[in-house]
Amino acid sequence: MAELSRRGLATAVVCSDAFLSLARNQAGVFGIPEMPLIVIPHPLGGIPMTEVKARAERALSQLLDQLREFPR
Amino acid sequence: MNELAFLMRDPKASFEAEDDYEKLNDLFFERGWSDGLPVIPPSIGRVEKMLAYCNRPWDKPVGLIPPRWGEATPWRLAANAVMAGCQPRHLPLIMLAIEAMCEEAFNLYGIQATTHLCAPLIIVNGPVARELEINCAHNAFGPGWRSNATIGRAVRLALVNIGGAVPGSGDMATFGSPAKFSYCVAENEEASPWEPLHVERGFPGNTSTVTVVGAEAPHNVNDHESATPDGVLKMIAGTVATTGTNDIAYSGEPVIALSPEHAATVAARGYSKADAKRHLWEQAWIPLGRFSEENIERRMRVKFPERLGNAGPDTPVPVVQRPEDFIVIVVGGAGKHTAFIPTFGATRSVTRALRRRDGNYALSVEELRGD
Repeated sequence: MAELSRRGLATAVVCSDAFLSLARNQAGVFGIPEMPLIVIPHPLGGIPMTEVKARAERALSQLLDQLREFPR
Repeated sequence: MNELAFLMRDPKASFEAEDDYEKLNDLFFERGWSDGLPVIPPSIGRVEKMLAYCNRPWDKPVGLIPPRWGEATPWRLAANAVMAGCQPRHLPLIMLAIEAMCEEAFNLYGIQATTHLCAPLIIVNGPVARELEINCAHNAFGPGWRSNATIGRAVRLALVNIGGAVPGSGDMATFGSPAKFSYCVAENEEASPWEPLHVERGFPGNTSTVTVVGAEAPHNVNDHESATPDGVLKMIAGTVATTGTNDIAYSGEPVIALSPEHAATVAARGYSKADAKRHLWEQAWIPLGRFSEENIERRMRVKFPERLGNAGPDTPVPVVQRPEDFIVIVVGGAGKHTAFIPTFGATRSVTRALRRRDGNYALSVEELRGD
């Protein structure tokens, strides 16, 4: 994802809130500390489809915000 | 300027501190440079001594350790070996183990960052295991032996300090494991009725190897009654065949560490190691209906669509995909027990041999001193 971002594409990583710290660290490790992160509530495993869809909707609104701001 | 001083010319490579053991350890704890236990401060002099058996360039990484992808150079590994309490003769195996873990098939990124409670298990084979007095007998997975404790600890410190496996930000394990403090053992080759692991994997018997496995801590199989190979293997298979291991949902290589007494019973009727694996595989399965409905529909049918896509509840689900995926070794002292060691599942074990600078096998660590 960092490589795609370096190539100038609009990129974002979806992560759950429990893994935000890992995601931020990894973005820094790969040289894109400002990598946009789309945050959804933990967990993603073991939830019914209605909750999966609710997370997708939360992710979508953040994705649209990111795209409106692109390029920074 | 000697070689280490030259490497440490970067001001970030070292810092000056008062020579006070307690204060230094407080500093190391504050900065997260520890496994939570006190460490031996890695002074330049101690690190230089630790490199006495290093026959590789001190600044050339043996691998990149995720998730930070830090360069595991021999001199950084030596600093962690000092901190862990190692002797200089331990360093070659530490470098070899890290090199093996950095092979792509091992999936060290997954093992470091996963919520699963795995830790790299280091299995040592060959004459160097005896030379370094790595315990393979009573309490082999436990405390009490310097080589086992410090080699395993040095690897863990490197995974934290170089690789960034910091709890909550690089190591996301839900529980973690006591095996993350140190997890190094030798195979009890003298007490085994079979060829040792490294010979099974194509290395000459007089070579020495490390095999790394992304593993859980050992789980015991108590069998004081079975007097036949089939009896012992049936009891092991019954313990192995559980619904919650990662191995059954991925393509893992769980370790079956038989005690010498269990191994002798299994081999008594001429069973080879391959025979033992095949018998285990034939019995180590679970009917699909033992999994929850959600796991059947969302995991098992999806991961194994050809075999389980439309399968009924009585369909057998094998614990491993092939008989040879069981790693069978002999470990331990007296007693009728076997250790079942499940794995992370999404990982393959890697075996590496100890070599001299010229590429030939090292028959002793002493060949590496000044090599």
